[in-house]
Amino acid sequence: MKNSKRHIAPPRLAEKLLLWFLKDELAEEVLGDLDEKFYSTAEKHSTRKAKRNYWFQVINYMRPFAFKATKTQRITTNLMIGHFFKLSWRTLQRNKIFSSIKITGFAIGIAACILISLFIGHELTYDRHYQNQDQIFRIANQYAGTGDFGRWTNMQGPFKPILEDYIPEIELVARTVFWKWGDVGENHIRRSDTNANIFESGFFYADPELLEILEIPMVYGNAKTALTEPNSIVISKSKADKFFPGINPVGQQLILNDRATQPYTIGGVMEDLPNTMHLQGDFILTLKGRESGPGSTGWCCSNYTFYIRTKPETQKRAIEQKLVKVRDTYVMDKLSEAGVTDLEDMQKYRSYYLQPIANVYLNPEDIEDYQQHGSIELVWIFGAIALVILLLACLNFINLSTAKLINRSKEVGLRKVVGSFRSGLIWQFLVESVLYCFLAVLLGLVFVTLALPTFNFIAEKSLTIPWASPWFIPLLLLSVLVVGLISGIYPALYLSKFSPTEALKGKTRLSRKASFVRGGMVVFQFTATVILIICTLVLHQQFNHYMNQSLGYDKEQVINILGLESLEPQKRDVLKEELLRLPTVESATLGDYLPVSGGRTSNAGYWLDGRKSIDPGFEAATWLVDEDYLQTMSMRLVEGRNLTGQSLDSASIIINQSMQKYLQLEQPIGARLIDMFDNKYAVIGVVEDFYFESLTGNIGPLAMLQGKGSSTLSVKVNTDQLSEAVAGVSSVWASLKPHQPIRYTFLDDRFERMYDDLLRAKTIFIIFSVLSVTVACLGLFALSAFTIEQRGKEISVRKVLGASVSRIFRLLATDFIRLVLISIVIAIPIGWYLAQGILQDMANTIRLSWPLFGLAAIIAFAVALFTISFEAIKAALVNPAERLRSE
Amino acid sequence: MKETKLGDFEEVILLLVGILDKEAYAFRIAEEFESQTKRAVSIGAVHSTLNRLGEKGFLTSAMGGATAERGGRRKRIYQITAAGQRALEESKDFKMSLWNQFPAFAGNLKFKF
Repeated sequence: MKNSKRHIAPPRLAEKLLLWFLKDELAEEVLGDLDEKFYSTAEKHSTRKAKRNYWFQVINYMRPFAFKATKTQRITTNLMIGHFFKLSWRTLQRNKIFSSIKITGFAIGIAACILISLFIGHELTYDRHYQNQDQIFRIANQYAGTGDFGRWTNMQGPFKPILEDYIPEIELVARTVFWKWGDVGENHIRRSDTNANIFESGFFYADPELLEILEIPMVYGNAKTALTEPNSIVISKSKADKFFPGINPVGQQLILNDRATQPYTIGGVMEDLPNTMHLQGDFILTLKGRESGPGSTGWCCSNYTFYIRTKPETQKRAIEQKLVKVRDTYVMDKLSEAGVTDLEDMQKYRSYYLQPIANVYLNPEDIEDYQQHGSIELVWIFGAIALVILLLACLNFINLSTAKLINRSKEVGLRKVVGSFRSGLIWQFLVESVLYCFLAVLLGLVFVTLALPTFNFIAEKSLTIPWASPWFIPLLLLSVLVVGLISGIYPALYLSKFSPTEALKGKTRLSRKASFVRGGMVVFQFTATVILIICTLVLHQQFNHYMNQSLGYDKEQVINILGLESLEPQKRDVLKEELLRLPTVESATLGDYLPVSGGRTSNAGYWLDGRKSIDPGFEAATWLVDEDYLQTMSMRLVEGRNLTGQSLDSASIIINQSMQKYLQLEQPIGARLIDMFDNKYAVIGVVEDFYFESLTGNIGPLAMLQGKGSSTLSVKVNTDQLSEAVAGVSSVWASLKPHQPIRYTFLDDRFERMYDDLLRAKTIFIIFSVLSVTVACLGLFALSAFTIEQRGKEISVRKVLGASVSRIFRLLATDFIRLVLISIVIAIPIGWYLAQGILQDMANTIRLSWPLFGLAAIIAFAVALFTISFEAIKAALVNPAERLRSE
Repeated sequence: MKETKLGDFEEVILLLVGILDKEAYAFRIAEEFESQTKRAVSIGAVHSTLNRLGEKGFLTSAMGGATAERGGRRKRIYQITAAGQRALEESKDFKMSLWNQFPAFAGNLKFKF
């Protein structure tokens, strides 16, 4: 019995831990008690339980009465910490300028880091708040042909009943429409009991199930039934408060665009959609019970984005496979009936992909859709930039700490003589750096608070500092410790190393290695800076390139009058005629399709007549325009003639040059085309290619058919006095539509808005370049101050011997200039590579040219020289007697 | 001046020391506590309380015998002091007087609602 007990023994580690903290005089009895407990537990239960219990007991002995009295040595360390703080504070105060540079540089880095972390944190929290998080998906089509891969959301409406009937793993299906169809987007809206139209945006269509799938909380009404009646609408809380203050608006009616005969009835009020949801909008229109337009059930056209909720514990892969099977069994016939021709292609290459809801916002799968997306690349780039800036700031700190070496070396020497251990000195320097870091974080937070509104404005976010969240302050304190220790460790080890005699004699020569390290840091800093400058310049040039690009149309002096939906069709013509009577108006066109974003879009498939069953065909943007469109937009016909307003042109089509290329037509005029609905057209003209989508893409095929817009009227004015023109237009509008204020935009403004993303990227790069330049300059400033201080006597002797100020300046500057030059040489290839990467994703780009890199180099060089010159000139001008007297 | 009030847990421990008599050392007390109250307690907690009771003057202690289960280590045996005895009695009297003031229970312990 006893023998068997011998080899099961209490855990050694736990015993050691116990003995480490336990009072020596208690050791015997406690160890005895615990042993007894251990063996009795082992006998009654199991060895494992006994061991676990032993640990539990040991940890429970961590009580004040049982702790060893802190040893005398510890007491001194504890006292010393206070002393270290005092000393650090004194050092800080002694060199106010230096300390403030040190702290400010650090604070800038930390502020940049905090800002970017907030941004990244926000980007990563999108669509993660659902209860059934893992069951909510968006369906995407997938094409995986040879060398061709693509995913997109649009699907045919009648898929809904098919999914519901044949795939039991899918609990709920909801179709949505976000593209500009029917009343999606912007509308004029009023209560049925008023007649003043109010402009609102954020309309989209959805099936009733959407509210349940996306778990949208309701203020009034029931998520299950709010959209089930035809012509029902759900509005957000803030809009309910605006239109129906203080009452429950369920059952009330809203009228869109003055269509008094087709009112929408409010079926419910939802909470405002949170800003961490990819879906944004204030008005959900139901798709229920519609015969034509959104909600229609044809198999011809892919108009809907599908959201689904699956049953719990369902494999997404299984549903994806089932979707293909269901399509092959039930859908193929319907598609061929509807005239879809590429069925074989479809069976071979097309499948489905379920996108988890949390992926929709950042969309790493690159699914084509109509949503606003964050960019996963931007998250990465931002993260990298934050790290680089923090690193720059840390290096700066190290540089600055070692810079005032001579003063400190005497201090170190004296301390050693008086009996300080090296470990004590290391502690002293670490405490100092943690203190600096702490102050820097405080200052950094001030910077963040100041910069946040601007940052929010630029990045179009509404970020706040999360003071209240439980991890924020601890995380900050932890980062103070970590960053403080990391940036303090090198100076600490380095400075504490001096032998006291040499240090006191002032013979602290720099080792070659140390100066190499310091030089390396400057090179690193400036390399990063030059790279950022290059990227900024590239983006800047690219932006200007877009803005000045010849577009194929004239965007200047065109006013788009919006909100015509609420006018009867004849009134729209009256408006046009009235406007043409104004002396300032040159021409006017009723057309909803505009070569900028925010206009209507539609696509159709085209073939040469007679080849529909032979060729695969292609999709072309299809615009309905009137006879004045080309003139108003200053677009040029290369061949043929314009559309007329007459019925003879009802089957005429104008194509752009790109479409001519797609059709491979040598003689386009008179060619006959057929579209996916079997409508036939004769080509009557070819319009010069113009950019109708973003310049970051290529010009696709485009067809223009006779037709009239229902929402937008554009006028070309012949004067630079736009305000005068607008006044004229406004008064015409007011006479025709007194209950709805005029709403207009300028075409060139809308054009520029298309490049907001690029502008934002540019602005952000500029900000970070400036920050990085600032930080790098602080570093260089420190290094120059440091070296010049070292060479103070040499400079004085040279002056005494007759060297001129300029000569001494050159002497001092050369070293640094060399470092900066090295940085430039390293930075240019890297910058070139990165800039290529940025431009790769865009079409119609600038060519990277040497002047651009030269400019970046010159900027870096000039800034560096400027920074160095402070200390260098000061040193060169100093009276040599001052410096030499102390010898 | 040292606090000389008797806490709830302290009182139980003090009583257990009295009950266990010559066997009153931390491990045994903890075991006894667990078996009598069906509540788990760590030896450390008991030890800390014993220590505190010692500081208050309610207990004295001396090193006792060693056994093989303890790896040949001695144990610390606790003993109630006169002050400890008095504290226990005072506590009991105090509670009894409270009980006597409770009309429902005074004299006959029958529950009435």
